[in-house]
Amino acid sequence: MKKTLIALASLLVMGQAIAQDVVTLGASVQETGALANTGRYYRDGYNFAVAKINAKGGVKVAGKSYQLALKILDNQSDSNLSVRQYVQLLNQDKVNFLLGPFASNFALADSSVAEKFQVPMIQGGGASDQIFNRGYKYIFGTLPVASRYFESTVAMMKTLNPQPKTVAILYADDAFDVSVAEGTRQWVKQAGMKVIQDERYSTNASDFSTLISKLRSTNPDAVLVAGHETEVLNFIRQAKSLNFNPKMYSFTVGVPTEDFRHALGKDANYAFGMTSWVPSPQNKDEYFGDAKVFASAYKAKFGYDPDYHAASAVADVEAFAKAIELANSIDPKKVRDAITQLNFKSLYGNVAFNKEGQISLPQTVIQVQHDAVVDIYGQSLINKPIYPMPSWDKR
Amino acid sequence: MDLLFQVIVNGLLLGGLYALMALGLALVWGVLNIVNLAHGALIMLGGYAAYYLFTLLGIDPFLALPLVMMMLFVLGYILQRYVLSLIARSPMFNTLLITFGLDVIFMVLAQLLFTADFRTINPSYAGTHVTWFNLTFPTVQLFSFAVAMCLTVGLWLMMLHTRIGRAIRATAQNLSAARLYGVNPKQIYALTFGIGAALAGAAGDLYGVVSQITPYIGATLTAKCFAIAIIGGLENPLGVIVGGVLLALIESLTALYVGPTFVDVASFGVLVLVLIIRPQGLLGKTA
Repeated sequence: MKKTLIALASLLVMGQAIAQDVVTLGASVQETGALANTGRYYRDGYNFAVAKINAKGGVKVAGKSYQLALKILDNQSDSNLSVRQYVQLLNQDKVNFLLGPFASNFALADSSVAEKFQVPMIQGGGASDQIFNRGYKYIFGTLPVASRYFESTVAMMKTLNPQPKTVAILYADDAFDVSVAEGTRQWVKQAGMKVIQDERYSTNASDFSTLISKLRSTNPDAVLVAGHETEVLNFIRQAKSLNFNPKMYSFTVGVPTEDFRHALGKDANYAFGMTSWVPSPQNKDEYFGDAKVFASAYKAKFGYDPDYHAASAVADVEAFAKAIELANSIDPKKVRDAITQLNFKSLYGNVAFNKEGQISLPQTVIQVQHDAVVDIYGQSLINKPIYPMPSWDKR
Repeated sequence: MDLLFQVIVNGLLLGGLYALMALGLALVWGVLNIVNLAHGALIMLGGYAAYYLFTLLGIDPFLALPLVMMMLFVLGYILQRYVLSLIARSPMFNTLLITFGLDVIFMVLAQLLFTADFRTINPSYAGTHVTWFNLTFPTVQLFSFAVAMCLTVGLWLMMLHTRIGRAIRATAQNLSAARLYGVNPKQIYALTFGIGAALAGAAGDLYGVVSQITPYIGATLTAKCFAIAIIGGLENPLGVIVGGVLLALIESLTALYVGPTFVDVASFGVLVLVLIIRPQGLLGKTA
């Protein structure tokens, strides 16, 4: 009896010792459900980054090496479930820190859990200004600010010849897209162009025929759409079938992904979009080498090309690794303070959080030209945009 | 004025597709008294069938229609014969549970088999249009509308004039009497569910050409079909056409005059109104 007790006690001690050598990051991600298509970037990005950091020896705190562990739950694309899962991650699974879900409305709700438990969350899936303007101290984001998504696009539009004069803004009625639209109105106005149509539609709308008919009757030069990939695909297909020919259109999401070009085929051509990340060797990274090396390793491992979602997810994990080493502690409050001090180069870009907890990254304007994504405009013109785009019957 | 007419044209064409989507649901509901919550998932499966026939074998989605319908018919027949027959004539709640379960299973299987990528069926003529009277008619939507009308009228004629149709209606109206006349209800139920699934398959095929397919489109489509079936009534297929076209027109005109965010408010508001004023549906005779 005594011996078993001793054995048990030593097992417990050992167990604790092992537990202490691991720092667990928890996240609830859309592995199934309507957002699974984008959710996979976060699941795979987190896993890839954790594996890579562990392979390089993990993180060092007070001279001791810790391995990173990952606990991912599937929120089935349900934001209510997502909130419950974050509570579960902290209460039952006792994870040390939180990584984020995809999409602003999820991050908006989930960040309240982080704030309440005072455990920092670094998330790379929510960009809405609403997440960051509530004075929360434990939420950090690695996507560019939503209201600035179209900033570089409007800057590029000013360089076009002839310059577009009239603009239509379409946006879905969720936290992220409403923030994008609010910002876009300002950029367009400052650029001296006129918003002649400003339409909000329901998230997941599949029929755009009325909106497009309306657009055809006002005939704007440029159409700027803030929505989700499924809506963007429907919009483009229906624009074609209703023969709507603006001089250009641009979309917040979808355009950089391989899926977008597969689904639309030739019709993907001439669409403008944006990305906060370009897999160029100029983006050096301590763990992966550089962004280009990362992109090919990612493709080899998961069988599809990474986009900025995946890169942003990797940056989140790296930010935790750096912050834990900087804090020299795994105490949530100390790590939180260290996150605010971070300033490092990663494959995603420079990671340094501002007072609100967001990073500053310019959006590179891209366009699909001859079935491939071409970088068009960063701080200045990179490649020549095709403008005005040819009408549907001349393609 | 052109804008109004264009929006009405859009609504009418969309309404045809809506009607075809809801047709199978209304048929199964009326005859078997099963509200098939997996109906949207069957539409989704029909879409994938057409997608793979088109991308792998190069079969045009309109020519593939009979093939897709046949595949879904077999699936529906088996489902009713070996799964749903287990709960024949049990309370409504059980049928809701089992069809909801099927919906989840189909959705998850679809994600595992087909991935969550967006699929579109893109034949060369997708996106072309014809112009009549200064109005734009998208070719594919026009074809879909015609197909939907043909299938709906076809179903109506079948129900009225064929032995199977009469047997189906007899089973729906009075099971004991139908039995006395030598109708085998098990067989008729399975046939009806098969026809319902085949119609869902046809709708999925056309939906893939007009819109796009993911494993998750089912739930929204089921809700839409449910509304159309209630508005139109379960009595006859023509009611479903009226329901579909009406719903699409309401949606289009709401988007034009009130704003695109109010589309669902309007369509489900009409649903509630119909339930209050004419619970048997607009063309239904009795409750």
